[in-house]
Amino acid sequence: MSDEHKKSPAKPSEAPLHGLLAEYDTPPQLVQAAKKIRDAGFTKWDTYSPFAVHGIDDAMGIKMTVLPWFVLCAGLTGLATAITLQWWTNAVDYPWIISGKPMWSIPANVPIMFELTVLLSAITTLVGMLLLNNLPLPSHPLDQVRRFARVTDDKFFLMIQASDPKFDDVETRELLEATHPVAIEAVNEDHTTDDKLPSGLVYALIIVAVASIVPFALAAKARYTKSSSTRIHIIQDMDSQPKYKAQRENPFFADNRATRPAIDGTVAVGDARDDDHFYKGKVGNDWARTFPTEIALDEATMDRGRQRFGIYCTPCHGQVGQGDGMVAKRADQLAQGTWVPPSNITQENLRQMPVGELFNSITNGVRNMPAYGPQIKTEDRWAIIMYVRALQRSRSGSLNDLPPDARASLK
Amino acid sequence: MAKGKKGSTGGDGASGDNVRLAEVGQSLFVKAVAVGVIALGISLFLGSTENDGWTRWSHSYLVAFVWVMTIGAGALWWITIQNIVNSHWSTVIRRVGELIATNAPVLALLSLPVVLPLILGKPIMYRWADSSLMTGDLAHKLGYLNTKFFSIRFVFYFGYWTWLSYYFLNKSLGQDKESKEAAAKTVVTMRRLAGPAMIVFALTITFCAIDLIMTLEPQWFSTMFGVYYFASCVLAINSSLALSLMWLQSKGRLSSSVTVHHFHDLGKMVFAFTIFWAYVGFSQFMLQWYANIPEETLWWKERFANGWGTLSWVLLFGHFVIPFFGLLSRWVKRSRKALAFWCIWQLVMIYLDMYWLVMPTLGTSDVPFKLVDLACWVGVLALFIAGIAYRAKNLDLLAKNDPRLPDSLALENL
Amino acid sequence: MAISDVNPFEAPPVGDNMFARITDNVTRIAETPQPPRAWYIAFGVAQLLLLMFLSSLGYVIWNGIGAWGNMMPVAWGFPIVNFVFWIGIGHAGTLISAILFLFRQNWRTAINRFAEAMTIFAVVCAGIFPGMHIGRPWLPYYMFPIPNQMDMWPQFRSPLEWDVFAVSTYATVSILFWYMGMIPDFATFRDRATTTVRRVAYGIVAMGWRGSSRQWHVYERAYLILAALATPLVLSVHSVVSFDFATAQLPGWHTTIFPPYFVAGAIFGGFAMVVTLAVPARQFFGLKRIITIRHLELMNKVIMATGLLVGYAYGMEFFVAYYSGNKYEVFTFVNRAFGPYGWAYWTMISCNVLLPQLHWFPKFRTNPWCTLAIGLVVNVGMWFERFVIICTSLSRDFLPSSWGYFIPTPVDLATLGGSFGLFFTLFLLFCRYLPMVAMAEVKAFSPLGRAHGDHH
Repeated sequence: MSDEHKKSPAKPSEAPLHGLLAEYDTPPQLVQAAKKIRDAGFTKWDTYSPFAVHGIDDAMGIKMTVLPWFVLCAGLTGLATAITLQWWTNAVDYPWIISGKPMWSIPANVPIMFELTVLLSAITTLVGMLLLNNLPLPSHPLDQVRRFARVTDDKFFLMIQASDPKFDDVETRELLEATHPVAIEAVNEDHTTDDKLPSGLVYALIIVAVASIVPFALAAKARYTKSSSTRIHIIQDMDSQPKYKAQRENPFFADNRATRPAIDGTVAVGDARDDDHFYKGKVGNDWARTFPTEIALDEATMDRGRQRFGIYCTPCHGQVGQGDGMVAKRADQLAQGTWVPPSNITQENLRQMPVGELFNSITNGVRNMPAYGPQIKTEDRWAIIMYVRALQRSRSGSLNDLPPDARASLK
Repeated sequence: MAKGKKGSTGGDGASGDNVRLAEVGQSLFVKAVAVGVIALGISLFLGSTENDGWTRWSHSYLVAFVWVMTIGAGALWWITIQNIVNSHWSTVIRRVGELIATNAPVLALLSLPVVLPLILGKPIMYRWADSSLMTGDLAHKLGYLNTKFFSIRFVFYFGYWTWLSYYFLNKSLGQDKESKEAAAKTVVTMRRLAGPAMIVFALTITFCAIDLIMTLEPQWFSTMFGVYYFASCVLAINSSLALSLMWLQSKGRLSSSVTVHHFHDLGKMVFAFTIFWAYVGFSQFMLQWYANIPEETLWWKERFANGWGTLSWVLLFGHFVIPFFGLLSRWVKRSRKALAFWCIWQLVMIYLDMYWLVMPTLGTSDVPFKLVDLACWVGVLALFIAGIAYRAKNLDLLAKNDPRLPDSLALENL
Repeated sequence: MAISDVNPFEAPPVGDNMFARITDNVTRIAETPQPPRAWYIAFGVAQLLLLMFLSSLGYVIWNGIGAWGNMMPVAWGFPIVNFVFWIGIGHAGTLISAILFLFRQNWRTAINRFAEAMTIFAVVCAGIFPGMHIGRPWLPYYMFPIPNQMDMWPQFRSPLEWDVFAVSTYATVSILFWYMGMIPDFATFRDRATTTVRRVAYGIVAMGWRGSSRQWHVYERAYLILAALATPLVLSVHSVVSFDFATAQLPGWHTTIFPPYFVAGAIFGGFAMVVTLAVPARQFFGLKRIITIRHLELMNKVIMATGLLVGYAYGMEFFVAYYSGNKYEVFTFVNRAFGPYGWAYWTMISCNVLLPQLHWFPKFRTNPWCTLAIGLVVNVGMWFERFVIICTSLSRDFLPSSWGYFIPTPVDLATLGGSFGLFFTLFLLFCRYLPMVAMAEVKAFSPLGRAHGDHH
């Protein structure tokens, strides 16, 4: 099967004897023959068949192979690898919580433990089988024997090697003849075909081996060195878009900035906000004591104020503003000692507080209360204050403050 | 010492094996009855000292009963499947399987201490026996979990098992006396029934396991439960067959018919179903653990807390990891002592599994192993064996005329 | 492409003993100058489907996943249904190779080779779908624990990650098992080769196998070990696939019986595909003497048995849905049968539960064309089963405001149909160039091969 390389071919009859080959027609004949050869004490011999012949192992005295031990070791390695891999990656190197499962979730690790065990075992089985069988075996003296080609078809063979200590040209042949083969043939060593790999192939393999290191070397270099050029980015998606982002350069402008500052002395249309009363709750330097004229003090505004109060204020201040909202109650439960209770907005000092100051507290926050200005529109903040005033009135008034028809429902 | 009858056709196993238990069977029967009665008597006495209205004793008894049911129901499954797949290798041991399977009426009798209170509406173990205890979420289950429906199902399970097992045994016994052609036809007849029979069997074993074990905790459910119990049944019967055959051979029966090759095959099945049990058990656990839904995890929480957690680990390692490595090698399955060891080990582990399934319902935080458990176990097993011995003592232990017997005798396991 | 008067595949095999005849019967498929005309026709159709497949995949890579019908709430649509479908089909090959080997069912030797080939090709088709459905198929390395530029690792607690390992392992082990089985048969091809190309090609893959008994001993042991490994592996792969669904809390998905139910379903569908391939193969490649009616009958019995296991699982799901009292579970099952996807459900029930019952009758299960028809029906039914489980459960879950109806796009359908093109292309090439039947095994278990003569 290798290339013919004619140096000085020895004539077939001059090549030393490799062994004697006997051919049989049926498996039972082979098995019987094998027993005789085994009993005769030969050690360097073998039988050949198109399939595994039943009973041939015993007939030849073949000992059980050690392959299962290799597989067991590989399997245990796979198991250990899987456990270590999953533990280290998910619980040590980069732990993060997934749906409340423990960092090292043994039940969740079992499937991969099993798969890796099987994977390493299976690979070892095949590779181990090839190694233990000396495969690939590109050439063998038997390849010269024409009739041996039928070993993969329908014929059975037995060969005793000449290098066996008990081998004798005459006696061994007689022994074989006693097993009634179809034919006996002498097999010579193969000195005509060259065992060496063709030099071209060797050079090619060396070049490929060296070349295959290059990608890894490049990857290692890229990983551990810095570079000032931009990275190679093959799949662009929409990563580089033809637009200017803030903080980038833009040579169109004299100052090279893409972000343009506001022009001095200007204000955007609608952004003037020069009504301090409405926007800041101040009249001159004092807190406003009346509502701004933009706010209509009617049922609709009160309703709006009640709704907005319910959304933004009740979690802390409670439904009637007494400082007993859900958040406050929970904080009391937790009793962590860092909580500052929200105000009771119906207490006396807040009843006396000017509406402008209340407006300022909502807009900019006060003490631990955050600023709600960004969340609540200006009109709505005034509406909330209107409702707050109503709440304060409700906690400090008397029955006579109610219209006559409503008094009855409270009695 | 009476020799087995020589069959007129087919032969009597390998070269004149003794295939009759005769007085060995009789003596086994007597001893088993004695041990069984005494052990159960002790258990009843111990149960009465608990002063809890028989709750503790009932649970002990239930564990022992469902354990022995794995063997009995497993045997019926085993003989049915051997018929379905037309198995040749097992012919030589099939009669023993049939003799174990036909213990179904004995199983039914043994179940009475568990089942009677249920039927009479006393919720000693099963909350649903008293429908007033099934309130809220549980109320809708009363359509299934009521004593009337249960009684019908119970009668059906054990009635069906009795009928099917006796069908196979009687057909097989009849085959012993038939001509060659008739014997071959009987094989086909048995096989034809086995297919549909297995479908009904699958349903009976599923619902029996559900009724007796899963409903102890009526809130909980698992579609895998029938399969889980079934895995234990297969493990139990293969182990029991191996041990029974070893015992029979020690008494000089079936001495050369059953060879190391048959034991090797039984050992392979024990190995394979050890893995299968672990697979089923793991799937059931991991899926309910993963989704973390309270109505499912409540059952597991009980079994991982305190002492029960230790038992769970014991089951994982004892019922799977250790026997896996123990039974892995070919040599072990071909060595009588080693195989016997592992079969006994697995049967004990199945008992622990049943214990772990049933006992947490008592609500103790620790595993409450007590003498009453052991007494029930020994008692129930002894009476079960007594039933088999009584029936088997005058029957042939070998399906002499089965046309597949020569193949079975010549079995070679590489 | 003129066909001579005597179809070389129909002619009786040549040889003075059974072994030679087996060799001839199988090698002639690869050695005859031209394959049968049916092969060309099938190959042509397969190429068209393959073209459709590659075009739809290219279209999706270019334009994005929106080309498919996946939407909310049915975020897993056809791609996952197809993935589970193809992986399931692969399982039959491994069962035939490995499990039937462990149970000493020697009838498997006639079909195990092409069943294993079917497994490999099914797994190839299957693997493409998750690879595509991740949306950026150029980043598959994210799924593997390879150190990457983000210093991140895959999430091992996710069943989707378990799938990566399970399917990769399954593909690898199947290929190893299949290849190892073919080594002796490659040697046969090599020794009969008439051209240098064939001799070198088969010679390389045959590894220099010469049938030495000492080598056979190690080989047989390796075969047994691989079979023993492949058996739990095949159970685990489809169980892990079922975990994709069962670990969720979705009604209709979260049920503990999913693992064995999926495995039984996989074997059910897989065997249906095996018979779908076996019936034409034995007809057109002249393999009727090797793949006999008895083989078809035994395969039909396996189809029956696994179909009944699937039916048992359906029943258990129903019962526990009622028993659990969980109103979402109950709704899911009522919705499956009577909701907007009811048509899919009843297709599934007819194909999986009702029609295969015809195999109780010997007349049906010993008839090759009935075998083929029911095999096709079961394949359709099993595809619909995955569709019902995935799409129906997702389309109507806990919150009615989330409900939605999934409709596949033409790209979805083209991808599904086209995947058969890939499968059949590979399979037909296998039939033509590789040993289609395990010759060595068939010889070993033939009457002549098992003869003991004057014996121990």
